[in-house]
Amino acid sequence: MSVVRDRPARLVGRALVRHDAVEKVAGRTRYAADFGLPGMLKAALKRADLPHARLLRVDTSAAEAVPGVASILTAKDVPENTVWVDVPGQTFQVGALKARANVLADGVVRYHGEPIAIVAAETEDAALAAVELIDVDYEELAVVTDPRAALEDGAPAVHEEGNLLASWQLHEGDVDAAFGGAHAVVDQSYETQFVDHAYLEPEAGVAWLDSGDVITVRAATQVIEHFRDLARILCVPDNRVRVIAPYVGGGFGGKEDMTVEPFLALVVQRTGRPVRMIWSRSESLLAREKRHPMKLRYRTACDAEGRLVAQDIVIVADGGAYALLSALVLLYATTCAQGPYACPNVRIDARVAYTNHTPASAMRGFGAMQVALGYEGQMDLLAAELGLDPLELRRRNFVERGDTLAVGQRLDTHVALPELADRVEAALGPKPAPSTPERRVGRGVACNLQPYGRCVWLNDWASAWVGFELDGTLVVRIGVPDIGGGQASSLVQVAGEVLGVDPADIVIHIGDSALTPLTGTTTATRQLYMSGNAVLQAAGELREELRPLASELLETEPDDVQFADGGVRSGGRHLPFRDLIGAAAKREVPWHRLSIFRAPGGEAWRSDASWRGRVFPDFTYGCHAVDLEVDSETGHVEVLRYVAAHDVGRAINPQSVEGQIEGAVVMGLGYALSERVVYEDGVNLTGTFAQYLIPTAVEAPEIEPIVVESGEGLGPFSARGIGEPPVGAVAPAVAGALADALGRRLTILPFTPERVAEA
Amino acid sequence: MTLELVVNGRRFREPVEPHVTLLHFLRDKAGATDVKYGCGEGVCGACTVLLDGVAVNACSVLAVQAEGARVETVAGLGENGSLHPLQQELVERGAVQCGFCTPGVVLGSLEAVRLGLAGDRPTIRRSLAGNLCRCTGYGKIVDAVEAYRDRQGHAS
Amino acid sequence: MIPRPFDYERPGSVEEAVAVLAAAGGRDAKLIAGGQSLVPMLSLGLARPDVLVDLSRVELDGIEALGGRVRVGATTCHRTLELDPEVRSLLPLAAEAARHVGNPRVRNRGTFGGSLAHADPAAELPVVALAHGGEIVAHGPGGARRIPLGEFFLGYLETALAPDEVLVAAELERLPEGSGVGFHEEAQRADDFALACAAAVVKPDGRARVVVGGVGDRPLRFDGAPGELAAAVESAVEPEEDAFVSAAFRRRLAGVCARRALAQAREDAAA
Repeated sequence: MSVVRDRPARLVGRALVRHDAVEKVAGRTRYAADFGLPGMLKAALKRADLPHARLLRVDTSAAEAVPGVASILTAKDVPENTVWVDVPGQTFQVGALKARANVLADGVVRYHGEPIAIVAAETEDAALAAVELIDVDYEELAVVTDPRAALEDGAPAVHEEGNLLASWQLHEGDVDAAFGGAHAVVDQSYETQFVDHAYLEPEAGVAWLDSGDVITVRAATQVIEHFRDLARILCVPDNRVRVIAPYVGGGFGGKEDMTVEPFLALVVQRTGRPVRMIWSRSESLLAREKRHPMKLRYRTACDAEGRLVAQDIVIVADGGAYALLSALVLLYATTCAQGPYACPNVRIDARVAYTNHTPASAMRGFGAMQVALGYEGQMDLLAAELGLDPLELRRRNFVERGDTLAVGQRLDTHVALPELADRVEAALGPKPAPSTPERRVGRGVACNLQPYGRCVWLNDWASAWVGFELDGTLVVRIGVPDIGGGQASSLVQVAGEVLGVDPADIVIHIGDSALTPLTGTTTATRQLYMSGNAVLQAAGELREELRPLASELLETEPDDVQFADGGVRSGGRHLPFRDLIGAAAKREVPWHRLSIFRAPGGEAWRSDASWRGRVFPDFTYGCHAVDLEVDSETGHVEVLRYVAAHDVGRAINPQSVEGQIEGAVVMGLGYALSERVVYEDGVNLTGTFAQYLIPTAVEAPEIEPIVVESGEGLGPFSARGIGEPPVGAVAPAVAGALADALGRRLTILPFTPERVAEA
Repeated sequence: MTLELVVNGRRFREPVEPHVTLLHFLRDKAGATDVKYGCGEGVCGACTVLLDGVAVNACSVLAVQAEGARVETVAGLGENGSLHPLQQELVERGAVQCGFCTPGVVLGSLEAVRLGLAGDRPTIRRSLAGNLCRCTGYGKIVDAVEAYRDRQGHAS
Repeated sequence: MIPRPFDYERPGSVEEAVAVLAAAGGRDAKLIAGGQSLVPMLSLGLARPDVLVDLSRVELDGIEALGGRVRVGATTCHRTLELDPEVRSLLPLAAEAARHVGNPRVRNRGTFGGSLAHADPAAELPVVALAHGGEIVAHGPGGARRIPLGEFFLGYLETALAPDEVLVAAELERLPEGSGVGFHEEAQRADDFALACAAAVVKPDGRARVVVGGVGDRPLRFDGAPGELAAAVESAVEPEEDAFVSAAFRRRLAGVCARRALAQAREDAAA
């Protein structure tokens, strides 16, 4: 049941109420943990107590004796215990053997909290009691926690093959010569921290054996295509595993790699019984993969007018104990490290190392956001050096359409940065005065670019099914997982727009690897772009299939038929879809359509420094500004005001676009000011939600989102993706504002009260 | 022991062990899966319920402590299948994204408005500090609570 | 994620509660009132009592002026301290501090006596109680016992209560007419545990008292001239370092909190 606030002439561009919002606010949505089956087992994990140790003995005998325990599995019970991550262009050069993780620890644990055993029992009490009785003898191994130290000779080896997980090298132009002739050079190091996705819904799922011997896993995930990984782990054919993604309580990349799925599937395979697993918040904080910390060194040179002449960038990232998506995260960092600024001479040395930390992997911004702290910090430093306004210096360097990034990617679509900067500047007004004598006010700006869509050489595709029912209502079937961003509801808008169907008459079935056409992962800011185009295409093709019949029934030319108002129209005549589809059924005219949208492809980046080419389909650009007030005695930072402008090409649902911007800004503020996962010698000390400080409604400022619609983008109706882009500019904007307030730049995230007070 | 309580008007008489929290009782025994587990520490507010009319974190109450109580969850709010006015505001103002915090936000905000702790935006923000949200950035939630508060003002 | 099993008793009176505690023998028995610290600790596995003794059927709430003191019943909830107009006039310091305890739902259920008996050094209400001074009233097998507040907090989560005693009330000294009070807290986030907090009282005779929390294993009390106290606090406290905050920063915040609470108290006294 959807409600339209203003009766629209068209659906696209309207702030339609999301159908899922109504169910969610009423408490009716069945998230992963809200589902159960009679007689289901409850599963729990025994996790490593140490960050690096040899497993001398894992004794489950006492645990097995706990009444109600049905099954306990360790590494030896997993048909194929190794999970591979295939990274085109990298896997076989850096070493295929290293891009892997284990389902259950096999012989060695490499991070605190790594799963060692699965317990399945009749009750949660029995499962937890049994977990506590699993007796593990460890032989402690030397721990390495600093990625630079991990890459040195003689460092403790996290994996036998060495600690270099992946590396990207790039040298465009002649950097050393350019530095020689530069007017000004700034040289600064920056550090970012481990952070957690901290979605409100902890990882959870239920699995069962369904008819046809299909192991079915209903779990909170961004990727139903993991059914293939599960089949590989279970050593069963792909078509014997099905993954269902219900509405997900937040993802942000944290539900991109598998979470509970393999454990659930293994229990079903072993016992034949349904099973549920819900991770506690502590488990999620302890062992769920995190955002990559990066150590950045930027040397940046400009000419007398402030135009960049060279950037020399070194990136060392902490990949944690297993590879997961590290190589790709580093690729995003490398591609975006120069920022949205033209520069003829760029050298980048990017490496990611294994350490005994929690594995790092996908999180909103995906490598492209960490480097913003570096490239924007450099712009501020150069502006100060030249005595220029920080935004003015940026304006002199913005990339433009037709420019080519150092990696070799030409920017083919509109680059709205000058307009975004103007809009932000106009919104800001004068800087406020401090509220008390011990407080200082600062203002910062930052711009960024973030790709949307996957790397072109992954040959991304998305499929969608759009069809009418005989009563004239419309159904969309598509594999998209909806993680809260309105992924499903925006597709309803697209289908309704094309076919002239009221959203109230559309039902969308999503997120089922067996029953809905696969459309790829809800990651990489790709769903509106990919699924949106797939639905646009399917709905458009369906419309054209029906057009001749409609023209016949309306007794008009095909071109005069309009699909609108729940039917087809020509002049004053209107035929409801019920009648049109009824006629189609009799005449054997198809009234549904399955279509595949294929993104433009490309050649894979080889990891040698001479490779040049297109990496991503396109980028979304942004410009942010922040006013904040610092209490110089306590280091407390109050964000007074936040303005965030992005070009989204076309806003399918402006309210959803604003929601993405506002949510990302607050997530970025947490990253900038308070969030961090703290380790001591590899031991994760951040075990509670009271310690992991995501912003509350009090810390979150009033945010002014500015949605610019350039009319250019690769998504449906010229939309660009907006899920990830707004998170990147926040921390550098805050860094700039703090520097403005304090007269000194902080370079190590997060900018906690202690660090601010001591700056 | 046997626990007797009323959940959204429905009476339950169920055996329960003393270490079971009200949250787990509601979810596993009373079918109230609209009450969410977010942290189990009383920090995130996703498990907010009204216990004899007072908002509490169900994770931080033992089920046995709710003996004889009247529990209301977000699913019990609307009348005849329609949404409560605050729920309607949240939906229309785009304050619901992943929706996992939403049940707690609804009940927490209702109490804040009832107690007069929603006078202006900073006060609403303070009242919502125990309801963590990772998706919306809170602004649209505050919009909705403000609008609901104003509706109440006109109604009274 | 969920508490481990324990035995459970729900006495109907203080005497019954004391009897249950006494009967526990060597087993670890814990009292539960609002449970806002204890239930999360049970869920996290940080507390594993053998027996839980629930005070929810024992009527111990209420606030009453008794001559020079105010008696605060053990199960009076934080929300009452925060919002009740009578508390605001009788115990303005408690009303001010209660706003900082947990979040609204924790305050709806958490109790004054529970906070004192739990004795978390970063908690606000022990700081307030100590700033007032007075006595804790506890019941044990031998009947009622009065413990001066100055002798009540012994260390981290440690008090002068015996294992078989029940805290039934605190009798707080009323502040002299014309006193001013102030409370200041520094936390990283709204409604979080205090990094440091301070309660201040400035009396009409010009003397002042500051109690600081979060910077030692218990709340710490300082008496003296208002102008000297903040510096005294900052030089005297010896907070512990942890992985999140350094000792030096906590010390600095203790000084700031003391200074700001005192300034508020002076302003309040002048008003």
